[in-house]
Formats: sequence, structure tokens, C-alpha cells
Amino acid sequence: MRDGISQLKGLLPGYSPDALRVMGETVTGNTAFTEDAVLSRASVLPALPALAGLLPAGGLAKGSVLTVDRSGLLCLALMAGASAAGAWCGVAGVPDLGVAAAAGMGAEPARLMLVPDPGPGWPQVVASMLEACEVVVVRLPARPPAQARRRLEGVLRRGGGVLIAVGAWEGAWVRLRVTQRSWSGIGHGYGSLRACRAEVVAEGRGTAARPRRCWLWLPAPDGTVTLDETAGVPGVAVRAAW
Amino acid sequence: MRGPAADRPARILAVWCPDWPEEPASRDEARAFGQVVAAVEDFCPVVEVLRPGMCILGARGPARYVGGEDTLAQKIAEAVRARGFGCHTGVADGQFAACLAARAARPRHAALVVPLGGTRQFLAPYPVHALAGAGLAGPLTRLGIRTLGDFAALPARDVASRFGAEGTAAQRVARGQQARRLAVGAPRADLSATVEFDPPADAEPVVFAAKGLAEQMLAALAARGLSCVRVRVEVAGADGQESARLWRHDGLLSALAVAQRVRWQLDGWHPAPAPPTAPAPPAAPEPPATAAAPSAGPGETGAPDGESPGGIASLRLVPDQLVPGEGRQLGLWGDDLVSDQVERAAVRLQAMLGHEAVTHPVLAGGRGPGERAVLVPFGDVRDARLPADRPWPARIPPPDPATVYPVPLPADVIDAVGAPVTVTGRADLSAPPDALTAGSGPWLAITAWAGPWPVTERWWDQPNATRRARFQLVTEDGTAWLAAIERGRWQIEARYD
Repeated sequence: MRDGISQLKGLLPGYSPDALRVMGETVTGNTAFTEDAVLSRASVLPALPALAGLLPAGGLAKGSVLTVDRSGLLCLALMAGASAAGAWCGVAGVPDLGVAAAAGMGAEPARLMLVPDPGPGWPQVVASMLEACEVVVVRLPARPPAQARRRLEGVLRRGGGVLIAVGAWEGAWVRLRVTQRSWSGIGHGYGSLRACRAEVVAEGRGTAARPRRCWLWLPAPDGTVTLDETAGVPGVAVRAAW
Repeated sequence: MRGPAADRPARILAVWCPDWPEEPASRDEARAFGQVVAAVEDFCPVVEVLRPGMCILGARGPARYVGGEDTLAQKIAEAVRARGFGCHTGVADGQFAACLAARAARPRHAALVVPLGGTRQFLAPYPVHALAGAGLAGPLTRLGIRTLGDFAALPARDVASRFGAEGTAAQRVARGQQARRLAVGAPRADLSATVEFDPPADAEPVVFAAKGLAEQMLAALAARGLSCVRVRVEVAGADGQESARLWRHDGLLSALAVAQRVRWQLDGWHPAPAPPTAPAPPAAPEPPATAAAPSAGPGETGAPDGESPGGIASLRLVPDQLVPGEGRQLGLWGDDLVSDQVERAAVRLQAMLGHEAVTHPVLAGGRGPGERAVLVPFGDVRDARLPADRPWPARIPPPDPATVYPVPLPADVIDAVGAPVTVTGRADLSAPPDALTAGSGPWLAITAWAGPWPVTERWWDQPNATRRARFQLVTEDGTAWLAAIERGRWQIEARYD
């Protein structure tokens, strides 16, 4: 038991032994602490519940690369779950990040590190950020050099961080994109944007090879992200709520 | 040395220049404050800078020389004003009261002198928030203790048992006493920390090294059970020039705080450390306050403008005014470990990219999306100038956009016949918008829209006034935009995607 904790401490720097024991008890459901259960849970960072169905592990698998098509709300939502659970998040190369929107989904601004312009040495910057942050979002240049990609993948494997890349990344674990969206609450000259119903598709490799798709409220009227319960029920019109 | 006299802090004179903002200043502002310090140093060589915009000095000696505290306060204020800066001075027992006295002098007088022993009475009407941090002021307010007078009247023993060392120090200040008793006797061992740069270095690596050096110095102090409230920063250039300045901090100095003060001092010393700038224009970018200033000679710290003295050869930190270290409570869940790791990474990135390139956001208040967050350089502590938890009538209703352009994108919006859409002074629309192009993007048909929402902000402050009408537009690709028209020109402020 003592060994288990000290071993975990190496894997989860920054958590106190008490936190680890509580985590072990929570995961296993009893006070007989088993390391395996904690380790399997500890290898995944939590994601928002609405996104869990899209991700093969139910969360962000440590050491993996996820891609999103643009740095929109979906990208912020991926980060928000881990941030709300206490992780530090870094964002590189996104000077136009909507901090208020990220905070609305649960991200904690006090645990965000932003490098709006990492410059040509962005792989080095991202590698440095991965030492401190469990999740790093980076907007890639048009063609990221293969060498930089391999180097960062090595950093991820060793350090156990998660990289969310905005753009294309060959061999990414999961690729997420928004295929359709429709806004409600706004008409022709009246109302205001209120909520958006969006279809998100996740593809990838390995266990993620089978494409998963689902309809989300991205965002819901209160700024959060939730599953769209009306999806799949044909003929349910989304009422313009105003 | 018993009795009240031993408890009473020294008479302090505070010099406050309202032209400098409350928050830690930019490097231009830190540099310009050197002129104020130079003016004050004509009266007393030992000037402690609290932050650009505020400095203090011991009033007793100089007051005896010029013939009274009133005269001294007036003369210093006049001397600074003669250099073209707004200035108020205040004299009281202790630094906190002196700073408040300088502010209280503001509307009508140049100087305000709180008589000897009258400090407690002077402080009594101020709210407890003026003195204590949120951790102390919140509980006190809830207990019904709203002013410093009420706080000072509480039994000291009860304050100590409920609020600990921090509460005791705060109450001593509210009573016009010294916050912490100074550690008796000068330190026997040399507790300073020095680093040499070979070859001489620029400002950026020196600040980077300063943090490590400060940690080393604080660790040496902590090993002796001490911490310091004042530090002397001595910098020597490769050409033999030296700059030394005392920096004081309201709380106890942390390693990051020391590094920030080293940065301020270097900014004031080397006129243009940034390589792209041509040989240092003497009065190039300075805050508005100095624009009208007569060009004062460089202060005592100043290397002559335009000279590029081959970098900095050594940096020395000397702890000054030691107080007993009271330690601090570590976080329960090991938060400190994490933030330590994050801090190290941030400092490394700052050494690579520059101090202001690594930021963390602070939520702020405002009507437009661009005003909702302020980016603060990592390591600086700064509150948002406009608090987020106030009502902001006419703000854009939620949800918040995921993409907020730091500089709005130019855009064009046309109606069904292809004419640009305009908004009249009475917020009437020329025609419903039909298509949008943002930046250099393609034309997109508009499928839904709302607006115009007119906003007139800061009309009393012409250079910063805005008068615009905002719209939300949804285009055929499912993207929603926050657009605004100002002076007939369309721009995109944010994107909902």
C-alpha cells in the first residue's frame, strides 16, 4: 500500500498521498486500495461528460494527440473538462482564445498558461509547456515538420501529457470535427444567439477507428456543453427560444 | 526603549504620483519614474520605491534639516511638480498611513501631515479593505467590523487567536504601530547573493538569473528564521557604471517579486534594452504625463541615453530590514508542488520568448467580448481594472464567443441589392444584411441576424471613446459572428464556432 502510493506519486506529481488514497478508494468503491484500478483511471484525464461518448477511453488518454479542425468551442470544451478537474492547461499560438467562453464551460482561468505567439520555435515551446501542463492546445502551422511531430510525440510518451492540435496531425489518436451546426434563438432581425446544436464526428486509429458521431448543444443556453437529447428523434423541431 | 515610543514606527514621508497606474507599470513607465526618484533624492539619499508611482523615505532627518515636516512635504511635492509630474505627499507614522495621507491630500493640497501620534485617529474612518487582504477583510466585514477604527479597538489577544500572525500585524498597523518588530541587531553573516555575468548579459537573462538568485537569498534567510521586507538591488555594468536602489514590498518579498523589481530597475537604467530600437531616442515612448515634462537630466541611476554599455556584469541582492520569518501554510492538496513546477516552466519560457510572451488570463468586466479577459504576464500579480462581477448593462448576452480577435477583422456587409449596410445616428438600419465577407474570406450569405445594438462608451474620454452598433450574424456555413459598425466601417470582433 505504501509502495503503491509512492509509485503513483511518481506518475501523478503534485498529488498528495491523501489525495491518491482517496482517488484509489473512489475508483475501486471500497477502501481496499488496488493499484491497477487507479492506474487505469490515472492514465486518462477527465473530459466533460457530454464528450465522453466521443472519446474511446471516455476521456483524454495520457500521452496521446487529439486534433480538432479549428480552435472553436469544441477545442475549448476538450480542455475544459481536464481544467475543471484541476489540471493545468497551456495554449500556444491561439491569440484569439475566448477565455470567457472557456471559463463558461468549466475551465479555470487561474490554471491557464497562454503563449499567444510562440514563433518559429513552437515545438520547443510546446515541449516546455508539456512539462508543466497536463493538456496543451497548439495551433499548428500549415505543415508541421515530421521531425517536430516525432519529437513532441516522444515528449508526450515520456511525460504523459495530452496534446490537442488545431490542424492536421498524421497518426493522431482521435480526430474531432464539427460537421453541421444550427443556431437557435436568432431570427431575421430579432432575438440573439442562444444555443447551438452541432454534430461532432470523431475518427481515429486503433480503438477509435470506428467513427463516432453525436449531437451536442455546443454551447447550451447556459454556456456549457451537453448532449442533445432530441437527437435521433425525427421531426422534433428546435424551437427558437426567446 | 520601553513604552509606546518603542512601538511607534518611524515618521515616513510618502510621495505619490497619480499619473502612474495602480498596477505594475510597463517598462516605459518604470523608466520615467526614475526622474521622480531623482528629484526626491535631492532631499534624502535613501529613497525606497514601492512601485513605479509611489516611493517613501524616512522624514525625521530631512525634516529637521529643512525646518519641519510640513515644509519638507511641500518642498518635495513642489520639486516633483517642477519636473512636470502630478505629485502629492503625506507624512504619518508608518508607511501605510503615509501612503493614505498622500492620497488624502489629493483634491486640494499638495501635502498632508498627520501629527505625531495622530495616526490611529487618522486611519479610523478608512474601511478595513484598505489595509487587509480579502482573506482578512471578508471575515471582519461579516463580523460587523467595517472600519480600521473598529478593528483597532478589538482586543489584541482575540485578534491574534482568531487571525494569527497576519491579523496581528494588520491590527498593529491600524493602531499606528509598527507591523512587525524589526529583527534585533544587524545580521552578522553576509546574507547577500551575487551573480557575475561573463560575458556581460542583456536585461532579459539578468532578470531570469535574478529569480534564481532571489530564491537563493531567501533560502539563506529562511535557514536563519528570517525574511525581509526590503531588498537592495545593485547592478554593475560592463563599463563600470553602477546602479543601486532600495525596493520595499508591502508583504514579504517573494523570489518572483524580487525579480520583477530587478526588471523595473534595469528598465530604468538601460534606456532601450530591446535590440531593434535605434540608439535610444531620448523621449520616445513615454506615458502621457511625461510628454509635457521638461527634459530632466537622467537620474542618479541613469546611464547616459544612447550609450549601449555592453551589458550587465554583475547583480547583487542585499536583504535589508529583516523580520522574523513566520512561514506560510502550504496547500492541503499539494497545490504548491504543482504551481512550483508551472512557475519554473513559465520562467524558462519567459527567458526564451520575453517576459510578456507568457501570460495567464484574468476575467474582467466589460460590454464587448474583447474586454472580458485581461492577459497578465506570468509572475505579475494584477487584478482586472474593471471587475467582472458588476452588472454591465448592454453587454453582449451569453453564450460567450470561442474566438475573440485581439484586433478586429475588417469586414464588409451588403444588403440584397449589393449596397453596403449602414446604421443611422438613431440606430436605424439602411436595409437587412444579406452577405458578409470577413478579413479576406469569401462572401457568405447571411441566414439569420440580430441588431443593431448601439453602444456609446467613455464619451467623456475622447481618445478612448467608442460609439458603435453591434450585430450578431449567422452565415450559411453555420458560423455565427459578432460584427460591429463604427464610423461606417464594419469589423468582426468575435466568432462563435
